[in-house]
Amino acid sequence: MRKYWGVFKISFEQEFAYRLNFILWRVRNVFQILLTYFLWSTVFANPTTQIFGYDRTKILTYVFGIMIVRALVLSARAMDVSSDIAQGDLSNYLLKPMSYFKYWFTRDISSKALNLIFAAVEFSVLFVILKPPFFFQTNPVALLAFAATIILAILIYFFLLFLISSIPFWAPEIGWGSHFLVTVVIIESLSGSLFPINILPGIFQSIVLATPFPYLIYFPVEVYLGNISGPALIGGLMVAIAWTGVLWFTLNFVWQKGLRVYQAIGR
Amino acid sequence: MDRTVIVDNLVKNFEINQKEPGLSGAFKSLFSPKKKTVNAIRGVSFVIQPGELVGFIGPNGAGKTTTLKILSGLLYPTSGFVEVLEHDPWQRKPEFLKQIALVMGQKNQLWWDLPAIETFELNRAIYEIPRREYEENLRELVELLELSKLLNTPVRKLSLGQRMRMELTAALLYRPKVLFLDEPTIGLDLVAQQKMRDFIYEYNKKYAATILLTSHNMDDLVNLARRVIVIDEGKILFDGALEELVEKFAKEKIIKATLSKEDGIADLEKIGKVKKLAFPEVILSVPRSATAVAAAELLQNFPVDDLTIEEIPIEDVIRKVFKGGLRK
Amino acid sequence: MSRNSFSVVIGQKLALSVFLIGKIFRFIFFFGFLYFLLVGSGNLAGYSSNQIIFFFLTFNLIDVITQFLFREVYNFRPMIINGDFDLVLVKPISALFRVLMGGADVIDLITIPPLIILTIYFGSLLHPGLVQIGLFLILLANGFLIATAFHIIVLSFAIVTLEVDHTVMIYRDLTSLGRLPIDIYQQPLKAFLTYLIPVGIMITLPAKAIMGLTSLPEVLIAFLVGLIAIFISFKFWNYALTKYSSASS
Repeated sequence: MRKYWGVFKISFEQEFAYRLNFILWRVRNVFQILLTYFLWSTVFANPTTQIFGYDRTKILTYVFGIMIVRALVLSARAMDVSSDIAQGDLSNYLLKPMSYFKYWFTRDISSKALNLIFAAVEFSVLFVILKPPFFFQTNPVALLAFAATIILAILIYFFLLFLISSIPFWAPEIGWGSHFLVTVVIIESLSGSLFPINILPGIFQSIVLATPFPYLIYFPVEVYLGNISGPALIGGLMVAIAWTGVLWFTLNFVWQKGLRVYQAIGR
Repeated sequence: MDRTVIVDNLVKNFEINQKEPGLSGAFKSLFSPKKKTVNAIRGVSFVIQPGELVGFIGPNGAGKTTTLKILSGLLYPTSGFVEVLEHDPWQRKPEFLKQIALVMGQKNQLWWDLPAIETFELNRAIYEIPRREYEENLRELVELLELSKLLNTPVRKLSLGQRMRMELTAALLYRPKVLFLDEPTIGLDLVAQQKMRDFIYEYNKKYAATILLTSHNMDDLVNLARRVIVIDEGKILFDGALEELVEKFAKEKIIKATLSKEDGIADLEKIGKVKKLAFPEVILSVPRSATAVAAAELLQNFPVDDLTIEEIPIEDVIRKVFKGGLRK
Repeated sequence: MSRNSFSVVIGQKLALSVFLIGKIFRFIFFFGFLYFLLVGSGNLAGYSSNQIIFFFLTFNLIDVITQFLFREVYNFRPMIINGDFDLVLVKPISALFRVLMGGADVIDLITIPPLIILTIYFGSLLHPGLVQIGLFLILLANGFLIATAFHIIVLSFAIVTLEVDHTVMIYRDLTSLGRLPIDIYQQPLKAFLTYLIPVGIMITLPAKAIMGLTSLPEVLIAFLVGLIAIFISFKFWNYALTKYSSASS
């Protein structure tokens, strides 16, 4: 256990070595939120507007809720596994008596901790400036469910990142491209970062909800807001748990195969 | 345990994709990649006792680094038996990994933007080194390698020599029983090279660690390794003491003579190959078996003041090895 | 010159195809999102669905063409660090031209024609007159001018500070706010986007021209900003060159 505390500490320090990079990352996060906030603020400019089951309060709470959930779920370092594999640095870790998965998970947690601190500050500042109508959840069941969804979201994202990062075992050239495609584009669009998934018409909504992506952002935020409860909540949790399991097994399988290839080639 | 490393009939093949140059080649490689099999290691066997200091030498691509990687568990053998410290390296069990260290010139384990001390602390946690032992090891290594002022400098600001010493420290903090060094002196200036060699020698003597190093640099071997294993094209050509290498592979001997008169110098060619001619000194190289005859002829037909018979310098032999000159 | 980079590109065909798919997906997703949003809400900030979509397409047009032309800018930092920039400065072709446009990406050529067709289609739905179309094209060109000026400034900045990635990403983030008409943003962000980093002039204004929503003063200011931008950028570039210290090996 102490091993991973050591990893946590050094990872945290490393972020500070890349100060400018990190600040930029936070700035870009804020821009994203601003775009989303103003977009929805305009859509619901008339306070009595009700679309897709949302009113002004709910939608703006959704947007602000995304800020915190993103910091918790989408802050990660595990996409760097890609370059570890492509450039052969993986070898250094194979020599160490430490689980490579646990190592990266710890690094992710370290990143999330730092990002959460910043997100909390940004949240407060923007809250004061924009004065959105925000709904604070008090129902303990909802809060507990929310915590569960966050944990599942973190795991799903971690496994996804690792899976995509495994592509360089076979095709090192498309390492970054694959991350762009899945991690940046698909997840940004389908996770609920830009819009709540239930504004999509029936069939599209069902399709998207069958993928793991909305369980990263949309599902946790909705559970917090109390919009999803009872049987829908249970159903959603089941899907999220199923995806966690599927991704975990796939990752293990792919990783074994990939490691074999890596050690055949010996980068 | 009387044998630290056992390798029996090790074979390692690589399959690589061949890419042809130009646009059409790039297209072809996308749709029908050609695979080529490289036989990196073709049946290698050796045994290493605890505490030995062994040098692997050979030309580029001979299979030296590949052997080290297999012994440390990074690559798996195509066939053959490998055992290090009574473990199968490929299993990469934690107990095994805690007893070995691999230091490669090109791949750093130090965190680039942070001071080296941070990586050391991390290793302390990963290898579960008790605090007191860690402090002691660190102090000794820092002293031996002269790193005390550099511990808090970000690694990216260190010179190559300093970084190599830091890498070594990071690898030795947990006192591994076996140390694999891949080209430890590459890129270092002469002074730094000597210091590195001194350190390796001292470490081997003091802690009886088994050390295997690969090198391209003949000074490393002449001044360091008592036992050399010559690898070329995946096969072992020689395994034994350095001096024996010269005896076995040097096909010629050197005759150095001092002449009193310049007459008939052109005829020296009849006795042997003239390597250097600067009157009154002359150096000839003659086939080993014909040395006595050549010496006698020289004394008989030339005004010789002084004559000595010597072995070819080790360096020349090793240089030949690096160029692949020992292949049959 | 771009032919050489074409060659390298085809060699990495697989890598760029993945990027291409990513870019297409991103476009489709946002387009789809706007579509469903507008179906549900009818209009946005007083603009009709077609108009909103046209704003989005204008953004994409400028964004994609700019990225196509100026892809070499992303390569500038390595070029300075490993000393290749020295070789560029020595050659008879304008160094600025080389580092700005030397790396046109053939993959983008695939995305540009469909984009143009879509733009023309949705543009036609707005029934613009000839004057509006002319104004649109001129303001679009002006937008490109500003984008060019900005990229030149990025390069100049890089010579002095060795930083490229961050400045470019900030530029991309700000311009991406132009996916929607900047009218929707509150002050002071709106003023910032209109006057300081002129996203409003680059993207919103040309689109408004098609809709006949621009006034003469606005247009004149736009051109003024364009000219000033390009002028400043050249000045800055020349200044940066004097500050250039070659990479030591």
